[in-house]
Amino acid sequence: MHEFDWSSIPNALPFLWEGMKISLNITVSAVIFGIVWGTLLALMRLSPIKPLSWFAAGYVNLFRAIPLVMVLLWFFLIVPHLLESLFGFPRGSDMRLSSAIAGFALFEAAYYSEIIRAGIQSVPKGQMGAASALGMTYGQAMRLVVLPQAFRNMVPLLLTQGIILFQDTSLVYVSALADFFGAAYKVGDRDGRLVELLLFAGAVYFVICFTASRIVRHYQNKLKTA
Amino acid sequence: MGYNWNWGIFLQPTATGDDTYLGWMFYGFKMTIALSLSAWLIALALGAVVGVLRTVPNKWLSGLATAYVEIFRNIPLLVQLFLWYFVMPELLPEALGNAFKQTNPIMQQFVASMVCLALFTSARVAEQVRSGINSLPPGQKNAGLAMGFTLPQTYRYVMLPMAVRLIVPPLTSEFLNIFKNSAVCSTIGLLELAAQGRQLVDYTAQPYESFIAVTIAYLLINVVVMSGMRWVEEHVRVPGYLGGK
Amino acid sequence: MITMNKVSKHYGSFQVLADCTTQVHKGEVIVVCGPSGSGKSTLIKCVNGLEPFQSGEIIVNGVSVGDPKTNLSKLRSTVGMVFQNFELFPHMSIIDNLAIAQTKVLGRTQEQAREKGFKLLDRVGLRAQAEKYPGQLSGGQQQRVAIARALAMDPICMLFDEPTSALDPEMVNEVLDVMTELAQEGMTMMCVTHEMGFAKRVASRVIFMDQGRIVEDDSKEAFFEHARSERAQQFLAKILHH
Repeated sequence: MHEFDWSSIPNALPFLWEGMKISLNITVSAVIFGIVWGTLLALMRLSPIKPLSWFAAGYVNLFRAIPLVMVLLWFFLIVPHLLESLFGFPRGSDMRLSSAIAGFALFEAAYYSEIIRAGIQSVPKGQMGAASALGMTYGQAMRLVVLPQAFRNMVPLLLTQGIILFQDTSLVYVSALADFFGAAYKVGDRDGRLVELLLFAGAVYFVICFTASRIVRHYQNKLKTA
Repeated sequence: MGYNWNWGIFLQPTATGDDTYLGWMFYGFKMTIALSLSAWLIALALGAVVGVLRTVPNKWLSGLATAYVEIFRNIPLLVQLFLWYFVMPELLPEALGNAFKQTNPIMQQFVASMVCLALFTSARVAEQVRSGINSLPPGQKNAGLAMGFTLPQTYRYVMLPMAVRLIVPPLTSEFLNIFKNSAVCSTIGLLELAAQGRQLVDYTAQPYESFIAVTIAYLLINVVVMSGMRWVEEHVRVPGYLGGK
Repeated sequence: MITMNKVSKHYGSFQVLADCTTQVHKGEVIVVCGPSGSGKSTLIKCVNGLEPFQSGEIIVNGVSVGDPKTNLSKLRSTVGMVFQNFELFPHMSIIDNLAIAQTKVLGRTQEQAREKGFKLLDRVGLRAQAEKYPGQLSGGQQQRVAIARALAMDPICMLFDEPTSALDPEMVNEVLDVMTELAQEGMTMMCVTHEMGFAKRVASRVIFMDQGRIVEDDSKEAFFEHARSERAQQFLAKILHH
């Protein structure tokens, strides 16, 4: 049986916390960009202008068909080269964090856009009619009447997707970026205490995600009874 | 940009000389399929059991099933994979752990990946099964019991056949997810599709061809799974019920 | 055949049934009525143990329903029940709906079960629909199938839980006709229903419930001509007014 030795964790806590900040940074940035871009995609998808709607459908279906790991690899291996040759960025500058945020944001936008599209479609059609009858333009009706109602109902789903995204940030491991999981792995590898560090990392993720999903569920129940 | 497209690269022999690059891709493709399908079968069976347990009146059983689902849903897949691959063999009784470590490394990677994907997915399948059962009209259970069925018989003959039909669409998306999630297993060195794509980037100077080929392979899997599940959906459709014939 | 003695049930502090005592003899048809929320559906669901109760006892054909040692499945297989929303099994054809419990619970062969099923479908006038699915029938037809399904188990008595209240008005009579016929053949029945015409025609006794209590338990003549409680008089005035 394995003999546990947890002693390398206390000293490593500052380093692990630095990693956690990277994980949270990627999560929050990607959620914000993902929701903005996802909203635009959803509006394009529902718009009467065919090419826009086709573009959005193609984008969403493509990103939903391929694994996140693939997208991240694309961003780490290929996009920096592309940027270097296009914009003459100095070779070898560390763009891993911004690549990761961009990769996550573009990927998650596809999932957010589906949630948002369903949310918009769940607002009764009569609301759009009523807004138009008051003389609002399509844009005004969307912005002032439909979207506020849609978002209110979508908040729990958007947050749940955020929790999934937080879990998925661990995949930046493929770029050797030291997010929380990467940091834990590095410490474990260095001290020969991989078993302890991996168990610790799993426990931390569990506590955070479990607590967050409880809070979302609580909010969801409040929304239902309101 | 000065990039030299060269689709002929796939037919060239690999740097190690024993295969073509297309052969590598095909190996990865087969690995992805074998891994995902075997994990999916286990996930379906486990998920069905856990999902049913979440709905039974016995507090202990349903509590246990809830704990199972929460654990597998709230730890990232990558962390779970590392736990299965690096940690589990250390925690097993020594003989068993050593036996695992002495098997063929590809076998080790495959088994850890399969168990990981299967359990991760089974928690999600369980949630679908539970919501399928809960979405049945409550009177159906009573009707089964009133006929003299025992509770297990009521599940077997009355509730599950309908619940399973209701959850075919969400199961389709879980089925697609397991193929996508299998790419995470490249991190422990399993040479599945995404890993082979990455190898190609390392060995050739043709990253775009490689990524496009891998992407097309995943799209292909997607199309096949979706049409397969659509076929299933049409064949289990109940006449006169929810869009039935 | 059915004896209830001081049956009480509560959810938390809410009293659903309070000291309900009554008897149903062989061949009797009891109509249970009362305002919504009075506990009448709960009362008949207690008879076959679909609703647990905290105190009192119910004896069905000599077997105590509340006794933890009682094999409830076996008891239920001898008591037929018809539900408000039919509750046919949507994934099975009509004839399979009639056959499934016969084979799986009573151990009859598939042939015996189907033969019995066809006979009962004949009786409720739905033989031609045997191979269809529940979703393809009207509500009235589904409820007649549900009655046939319960009869296929050769029950010693039948429980009806508002069998016509989910039906369109023009389908109510086809179901009541089947129930009337059944009553005239001497089936022991307990029916929760608002159909007072049916009660006047076939009931042996009427039970009136209010707030979980049995307020009236009398012959139909006594109930309809001079109900004693004010609550029952009000209820009758409202319901007979239409």
